[in-house]
Amino acid sequence: MKCYICAEQGKDTDAVAICIVCGMGLCMNHAIREEEELWEGGYPFPSKKVSKTLPRILCPACYEAIKKE
Amino acid sequence: MVSLLKRSAAEFIGTMLLVFFGAGAAAMTLMLVEGEETPNTFNIGIGLLGGLGDWLAIGLAFGITVMAVIYTFGRVSGAHINPAVSVALWAKGLFPSTDMVAYVVAQLFGALAGSLAFAFSVGPEAVLVGGLGATAPFTGITVWEALLAEIIGTFLLMLVIMGAAVDEKATPGFAGIAIGLTVAGIITTIGNISGASINPARSFGPMIADLVLGGPNVVGVYWIYIVGPIAGAMIAAFLYSWIVKED
Ligand SMILES: [Zn+2]
Ligand SMILES: [Zn+2]
Repeated sequence: MKCYICAEQGKDTDAVAICIVCGMGLCMNHAIREEEELWEGGYPFPSKKVSKTLPRILCPACYEAIKKE
Repeated sequence: MVSLLKRSAAEFIGTMLLVFFGAGAAAMTLMLVEGEETPNTFNIGIGLLGGLGDWLAIGLAFGITVMAVIYTFGRVSGAHINPAVSVALWAKGLFPSTDMVAYVVAQLFGALAGSLAFAFSVGPEAVLVGGLGATAPFTGITVWEALLAEIIGTFLLMLVIMGAAVDEKATPGFAGIAIGLTVAGIITTIGNISGASINPARSFGPMIADLVLGGPNVVGVYWIYIVGPIAGAMIAAFLYSWIVKED
């Protein structure tokens, strides 16, 4: 697969990742990798933040759209 | 997880709200019927307006507050707002000892704050007529009958907490509604037996506030509301684990 954004710009770059929301192929420059916090527990116990995080890969458009304020 | 201080603050606030709205509703019912003749001594006035509907209304005041606190502080402190729940989870090895002690202290002081806040919101009649919603066995009910009612009432409460919340297979998100309505149902039936405390803190707040502000003295029967709820909650917690464990 090729990077969708690079292809739009007329470049031919191999994709290294896929946006989990829209499925767009992404090159290293266009993939945004973020760590999601993980919580365990909850009522009737206090919920705890787990030391591990969950990686999430997004394209720049989806990242902008769902970015927390 | 937030600090034990903040979690204890959540327990304090939650129990304060429970006693203000729940025990407050019982006191308010007695104030509404003050001076009215009751048909028998078993009817102290709660039931004069709408029969068991009076107890349903009081039960819902408790239950809706329980639901509100669970959805608000459930993920913060666990929203026990009841020493019987904290002790039963601790006895099952699901809750640390230091946290349990801090929660119980916060719940007791929160309940006292809720009773004082209700008294200051309503005035002396809340204490003299309403007794701040303090719990004692009703006329013709022995302490042993009241104790059994408290054991069975808290047994149901804790059984639902186990099945709807502690059990990892429980449907997420429904515990608050289920537990709130369960509390309302328990109070509807056992309200006129033992006062339907099912919570040592809920009885502690009005009892101490009544002593301070010149209301009825119910200290002699307070043991019922320690022993009954804790026993009922412990039986439910251990029985539930045994029942769901695959052979
Ligand atoms: Zn995307
Ligand atoms: Zn690219």
